[in-house]
Amino acid sequence: MKTSNSYTTIAYLFLAPALILMGVLTFWPVGYNTYLAFQDYSIADGSSTWNNFANFKYIAHEELFWNALKNSALYLLIVPVIQLAALIVAKMVNNKLPGMTLFRALFYIPVITSISIAGVVWANVYKYDGVLTWLLQSLGLLHDQVNWLGEPSIALYMLMIFTFWKGIGYYMVLYLAGLQAIPSEVEEAAILDGANAFQRFWKITVPMVKPTILLCTLLSTIAAIKVYLEVIVLTKGQADTYTALFYVYDQAFRNYNFGRAAAAGVVVTLICVVLAAIQFRLFGDDKK
Amino acid sequence: MKLKKMLAVGAVVFGFASVYAQADTELEFWTMNLAPKFNDYFNKSVADFNKANPGLTAKWVDMNWDQIQPKLIASIAAGNPPALVNFNVPWVHDFAAQGNILPVDTYMGAAKNNYSVGAIKDVTVNGKVYAFPWYNSVSIIAYNKDILAKAGVKAAPKNFDEFVNDGKQITAKTGVPAYAPKLGNFVGWFYYAGLPVVENGKAVFNSPKHVAFVQKFADLYKAGVMPKDVFKVEFEQEIAAYNSGKIAMMTTAPQALKRTETDAKDIYAKTGVAKFPVDAGKMAFGAWLMDFVIPKGTKDPAAAGKLGVFLTNDAQQVGFSKATETTFPSTKKGNLDPYFQAGAKSADPVEAGRAAAAASMDNARTLTIPPGVLPDEAAMTKKLQDEIQDAVEGRKPVKAALDEAVAAWNEKLKK
Repeated sequence: MKTSNSYTTIAYLFLAPALILMGVLTFWPVGYNTYLAFQDYSIADGSSTWNNFANFKYIAHEELFWNALKNSALYLLIVPVIQLAALIVAKMVNNKLPGMTLFRALFYIPVITSISIAGVVWANVYKYDGVLTWLLQSLGLLHDQVNWLGEPSIALYMLMIFTFWKGIGYYMVLYLAGLQAIPSEVEEAAILDGANAFQRFWKITVPMVKPTILLCTLLSTIAAIKVYLEVIVLTKGQADTYTALFYVYDQAFRNYNFGRAAAAGVVVTLICVVLAAIQFRLFGDDKK
Repeated sequence: MKLKKMLAVGAVVFGFASVYAQADTELEFWTMNLAPKFNDYFNKSVADFNKANPGLTAKWVDMNWDQIQPKLIASIAAGNPPALVNFNVPWVHDFAAQGNILPVDTYMGAAKNNYSVGAIKDVTVNGKVYAFPWYNSVSIIAYNKDILAKAGVKAAPKNFDEFVNDGKQITAKTGVPAYAPKLGNFVGWFYYAGLPVVENGKAVFNSPKHVAFVQKFADLYKAGVMPKDVFKVEFEQEIAAYNSGKIAMMTTAPQALKRTETDAKDIYAKTGVAKFPVDAGKMAFGAWLMDFVIPKGTKDPAAAGKLGVFLTNDAQQVGFSKATETTFPSTKKGNLDPYFQAGAKSADPVEAGRAAAAASMDNARTLTIPPGVLPDEAAMTKKLQDEIQDAVEGRKPVKAALDEAVAAWNEKLKK
């Protein structure tokens, strides 16, 4: 006979490898980063000294950081778009027509493509004489060549399209799992009652995948705030595409100012936490 | 951890060293990312030095560039630094300001006159020389003879104004963008033009001369002389554009020609080579000097100096350039060696490129703002680059853009 106590012990034992890895690779860096945010850190000898919130005071008055936050906030525009599109795509590939596996795979390939390689490809798409210009010109929609990643008014949106392409497959798979959990009887009953496809989507599908919507929205919100790899591979922050985490990266690895980078990182983390709390309020189950 | 390990290693080395201490002084020198490719060169150099200097034993240690600073600091703290360390120019200024490396004037002695003027200036901090200049490189011009002939441009440009005018002529006559110079570090361009960037703690790059200089780039951009995405062009992109015939000239390091030779034989066959012209700054463009410094606390600085002079003398530097095939000596005589000069009249672009670059070496300067001058280099560089890009691409008048960047810099410099 096992006591519940020994079950708990065994459960923790099974969790241990993952917990240790997460502890070393996630929790420890987060904790140390927070500590560094309040310090002057010298990269050469590894010493650090308390600096009375100087890092936070500095970034509070730093135009570039505010501008980066603005761009990251703007990036949130992609969240509803990518979620709705992923849900619709998931719905479309969630039927038993022949060839569906192929479509699912096609949508998922960008997710597993390394971002540096995808970046090279998309740099050629967005080049002023690249694929996108060619396509729009041959459709007669565009006259002059456009430097898609060089115009500050559009460059950030071009990055968003890249993120959209790269991410939609990931959320599609999550929604697909959610959709397959919906019993087919519900939808059949709605058809008998005369509900059209649009009504079935909004009245049945959406409410029934609400938990998945919460998860995916949360994930994509955090991902949008954390965007910086796209910036590195496509624009390097040129043309008003400097994002909050790119600021962190720039301060750490161009200025070697790890304290200031850590402080900016903490601010970004707090913003993520606040946004997550809001989303739990909006989409989460009421426990009252 | 690191410190302990260093101490342990240091103790072992020191322990061994003390056994032989009566016989030899060991001179450890560190280099950046040169093993294993140049093992033969360094093994021979060490053997030659040891033979010529009884009582001294040179020992070569190569490491990754990002290990050099932490390991050096740890070894200085442990009281056991190496004799010489391979630095770049910004590091020399940084460490000299901290007092962690020694001035080398006295150890260099008369050898100081062997080095090119630009190289000595690069490593001079507050009137004292802090490093033995070593290998370097510099930009040249490689041009597509067909396109230049079609445009009626007879020879490569001899000064910057000719460079600008030729570019306009090429694009006007042929419709091909003339060149895509790297604009990612515009501070370097100001220095190249002999224009100051920061003076007496204030940003000064909005004078009429600066405005006129940037205006030249804006005019070139507007006329299509530079491709639309010129601000995204780096080493690789420039080679790719030249190799596919999309630009008429490359303004780059001579090793780029090797890529043209293998990747675009047709273009290579019609490639001509010339020096990159100097402007009012009297500086050759695109240099990045490597050098050796003597850390503070080294056991025998005079012996270290001897090794420094040896490793950077004419023969050693020419030998090293032959081993790399892509770098150049920082000594005056080194660049006159037949190895470099043989290509001057050669029809082969790679050889001609080597000669053209060697001929520019005396004016080679590493064009950066010394570390520590800018309180927030990442943000300030970003501001300057953004404003320059807006100005060159025609979204903002040049004067307004430079004024705004100067104001932003001065606010940061004030603090």
